[in-house]
Amino acid sequence: MPLVDLGAAIALGLRYFTIIYLTGLGGLFSERSGIVNIGLEGIMIVGTIMGAWGTVEYGPVPGLLIGAGAGLLFSLVHAIATVTFRVDHIVSGVVLNLVAIGLARFLSQLFFGQATQSDPGIPDLGTISIPGLDLLPLGLGTAFEGMSPIVPVAFLLTIPAIYVLNRTRFGLRLRSVGENPEAAQTLGVRVAPLRYAGVAISGALGGFAGAFLAIEINGLFREGQTQGLGFIALAALILGNWSPIRLLIGSLLFGIAQAVPLRLSDAPVISLLPEEFIRMIPYVVTIIAIAGFVGRVQPPAAAGRAYEGAAT
Amino acid sequence: MATAAEPPARRTSRIRYDFLAGQLLALGGAFAFAAAIGSVIIIAYNENPLFVYATVLNYSTARVQDIAQVLEYATPLIFSGLAVAVAFKAGLFNIGVEGQYIVGLMTASAAALYLDFLPAFLLVPAVLIAAMAGAMVWASVPAVLKVRTGAHEVVTTIMMNGIAISLVAWAILNPLKSTGEQLVDLRTNLFPEEALMPSFAGTFGLESVIPISVHLTLLFPLALIACALVWFFLFRMRLGYEVRAVGSSSGSAEAGGISIGAAQVKVFLISGALAGLVGLNHLIGDKGYLGSNYETGLGFAGIAVAFLGRNHPGGIPLAAVLIGILLRGQDGIAISTELPTEILIILQGVLILSVVIAYELVQRVLRRRMQQEVAVTETTAPAEA
Repeated sequence: MPLVDLGAAIALGLRYFTIIYLTGLGGLFSERSGIVNIGLEGIMIVGTIMGAWGTVEYGPVPGLLIGAGAGLLFSLVHAIATVTFRVDHIVSGVVLNLVAIGLARFLSQLFFGQATQSDPGIPDLGTISIPGLDLLPLGLGTAFEGMSPIVPVAFLLTIPAIYVLNRTRFGLRLRSVGENPEAAQTLGVRVAPLRYAGVAISGALGGFAGAFLAIEINGLFREGQTQGLGFIALAALILGNWSPIRLLIGSLLFGIAQAVPLRLSDAPVISLLPEEFIRMIPYVVTIIAIAGFVGRVQPPAAAGRAYEGAAT
Repeated sequence: MATAAEPPARRTSRIRYDFLAGQLLALGGAFAFAAAIGSVIIIAYNENPLFVYATVLNYSTARVQDIAQVLEYATPLIFSGLAVAVAFKAGLFNIGVEGQYIVGLMTASAAALYLDFLPAFLLVPAVLIAAMAGAMVWASVPAVLKVRTGAHEVVTTIMMNGIAISLVAWAILNPLKSTGEQLVDLRTNLFPEEALMPSFAGTFGLESVIPISVHLTLLFPLALIACALVWFFLFRMRLGYEVRAVGSSSGSAEAGGISIGAAQVKVFLISGALAGLVGLNHLIGDKGYLGSNYETGLGFAGIAVAFLGRNHPGGIPLAAVLIGILLRGQDGIAISTELPTEILIILQGVLILSVVIAYELVQRVLRRRMQQEVAVTETTAPAEA
């Protein structure tokens, strides 16, 4: 039995995985430093518009980097508000999402002469095939043919991410200010710069993921193209209990769940389920997990809490 | 600097005066900052900032119909701002107003389509109740999970938003799908005339000054009544007192014999009920059907409105009107200048963030000053005694 449809679903799922995982990994660094970031969706939106513009102007690689840089700059608004001015993290994140929509329309008008999308067909990176895996029988090999080179890069990013988080001085300190900033401060760790760094990483990775979406998946900037993937990344992060490996697994599951209704709608069992219900899966699973019905998830202890400084 | 000789009563009133002055100062500073940022962008476009701001003000206040337009835009924002604020008073963050009102749109549409045998004076209230009930059900899930399992309401409401979008998309395509000709935009059948909200102009005989293109309905006065009710609830009712106690210090509230969980669930349901009314002006005041391109983002905008209005039922309508002016101002900008209209959305975000930051700064200064005063009082008092 040929499994071409399944292969195609996995191929698309891997692309969604890349967006969810990269954004979630950024969120992980931010939240492990103690800054809750629900502005990931907005950061991603900034990444899509700037990435599309950068690609039209300079090509896909600079486009991806410009998207990441723009996401980083945009996320600094969140860092300034929450770290320096101790604004509630949720309020600031919501504002980020609100502003991003307006900013993207504004920039689109500026760059492309229309507020809601760019011209389609911006150049992409080309595709690669994973040697060996693309020879899988029964049509499953299609999942690993014609893949964006960013997909394996996202997978491989897990290794440095874990290393930085667990084995470097920076990672240890980052986690310490997310768990107990007062104690960290007492030991001579400066809280604010580390939290700025955590948020900046979330901005860079979220912006990069947005640019990837515009350049490598849709081939254009279009208003609303992020369709809540920033929130799905947040869900994967929570479900992954703020750990990179579990985030990777969660992102894979959610990525595939995104692709199934688009590529496997005729398959047995799935054809009985309306597409809309499959789309609910990531959210339902996350609610079940956060409510502690299946294993308990535990956020960083100081996440969402303003650090008042040593003086008080 | 206070002296120990100052009578406590006068000190209290002076602190209150300082507090008010501080808030006004913060608001003024934030507006000035946002206007400055806006001016930089406007000048970059070779336009005159003063002219642009005057245009915005002119387009939203010059004629009665302009004011009506602003109030139409403000109506849903008042409801969503109230929904966010009332939960926030209990220390709860209802990010889920977005999903709750979307579900409310669905249940309201079901009521409008299936209860069409009711006369108008019963059908419109039935639609309102259906909207509130649907949204309350949606709000009850995070509320119960919060109290029973400790699941953080920010996370659960964000997830409920995602589910709501898919659920309503499904409903529009299946049980509520239009029976008529397949149209390009997917939607329900048209609601019966009796299900629509009477217009403000028609009710008060203002048809000559407010054209029918402005969809200001009786939902606007209803929104103001809701503000008054929320104020009464928060500051004059027992549950409202409990809610505020839980919000400002859950430990003290519990020690005072308040059941935190019960108060939180109840206030979240009230928040949900208010959220249910958010989408109705578009649904039964304007469109008359539920389409797949329904108005989104009103719930998130409510968070902005709530914080701009200091989470107070008196501040929220003012904040909503302000956002309404910025929305109406886009028309003016489009007609009279070369600027992209989205500049006002950006300005709105800058304004909200700077207001929140300014309040935070002022509060910090006031708190420090109060601490210093207490310290001075404590060190000097024994010496004088």
